[in-house]
Amino acid sequence: MVVTFQLNGEDCRLDGDPMTPLVDILRQERFLTGTKAVCREGFCGACMVHVDDEAVPSCLKPIGLVQGCAVTTIEGLSSGNQALHPLQANFEAADAVQCGMCFPGMVMSLSAFVRDNPHASRPEIKAAMVGNICRCTGYERIVDAVADCLDQARKAGQLAGGIHV
Amino acid sequence: MAPGVERSFTAASTIEEALAARRQGASVLAGGTWMMRDPRRGVDLPEAVVALHRIPALSKVEVEPDHVVIGAAVTHAALGRALRGSAGFEGLVAAAEGAANPGIRRVATVGGNLCALDFAAADLAPALLVCEATVELQTFEGPRLLGISDFLKDRHALLTEAIVTRIHLRRDLIASAHIRLPLRQAGDYPVAIVSLAVDRNKRCRIAVGSVEPVARRWTALEQAMAAGPASALDPQRVAELALEHNDFQGRDGKEADGWYRRQVLPPLVKRGVAALLSTEGVAWL
Repeated sequence: MVVTFQLNGEDCRLDGDPMTPLVDILRQERFLTGTKAVCREGFCGACMVHVDDEAVPSCLKPIGLVQGCAVTTIEGLSSGNQALHPLQANFEAADAVQCGMCFPGMVMSLSAFVRDNPHASRPEIKAAMVGNICRCTGYERIVDAVADCLDQARKAGQLAGGIHV
Repeated sequence: MAPGVERSFTAASTIEEALAARRQGASVLAGGTWMMRDPRRGVDLPEAVVALHRIPALSKVEVEPDHVVIGAAVTHAALGRALRGSAGFEGLVAAAEGAANPGIRRVATVGGNLCALDFAAADLAPALLVCEATVELQTFEGPRLLGISDFLKDRHALLTEAIVTRIHLRRDLIASAHIRLPLRQAGDYPVAIVSLAVDRNKRCRIAVGSVEPVARRWTALEQAMAAGPASALDPQRVAELALEHNDFQGRDGKEADGWYRRQVLPPLVKRGVAALLSTEGVAWL
């Protein structure tokens, strides 16, 4: 079956099994290895991507369901040669990244969250990341960095439309 | 799937198209969060699949003054957003917004939650049981309406020739609550789930999920409460009744043994009644 969708802003056409998990296409055919395949059960959050602007686990998304959708991976958020997403910049500033395995998923979950919840409280930030597991257990720094990101956005007057990806 | 065989995948745009694919043996794919884990359970993915996400009518929540209609392809997240703040649906909202984790809730659907036959820990099942929901099916012979208790009991047979399309709810509850006991904050299936509701006649409805293979109403406890005084909504008193009328046979599972699932029910009921008492609907009773 042929499936077409937008991948990080570019047209993507695939011919294969429509029940292939999106994460496998990203990693094995598009070499976008920032998206991690860890638990493959939707519990760990390491494979989070944006599908039509919503953060979803790509391990449980068959490519047949992304026909016509826009998919953004961690590589699409910032190429590394350009300014980081504000949340990535805050993670870097707070030295929040430890081994890095969970981080692409953390960034994808939380970048959508800060975009949609510019006034989020600390408990709301924690609730938003319950599906992203960090075995280095550095959660408090991550929460600090998200809170800082929101604080900076508020001070910069970016509240009206939230923080855009 | 045999090598060289191409999987059939139909993204139906109408119910009729979905039923035609079902008649030819296609399995129904909703959000995919259950089916996509089949290989982890040692089960092959189906050779033919029909997806429902492109049928517009199945992705709507209609909130009317006296009833609510929920499309089977509505996600947990969308259901929570649609009913948040609606008096009487506090429990259903808590179930939709507390199940699994945020990423799963943005994908997993109402229909998928009710139709995953081996999923004992579905949060929406007990929450919809206390709403006394009606399940709308499209069968090969035409539409059919069924009470959710009967649907859950008979769904193995029913779903061989039907697709769940909508859930109908009357707005006859004044308050409800949904209490779940996971071993961790997220990522675990709950050990036990208790949903409670109070209707306009001040009758308390209670349903339990995850303790037995299929969620069901706790009629023995409901009857014991109905036989008591009007002030029956006392958490401690209801917990005592729950202990006395605990007629559940707990299922053994990797999260917990059956005896434990059964044993935690009275304290969960106590928490549930306390949650009911904190709602606006019950506060002015």
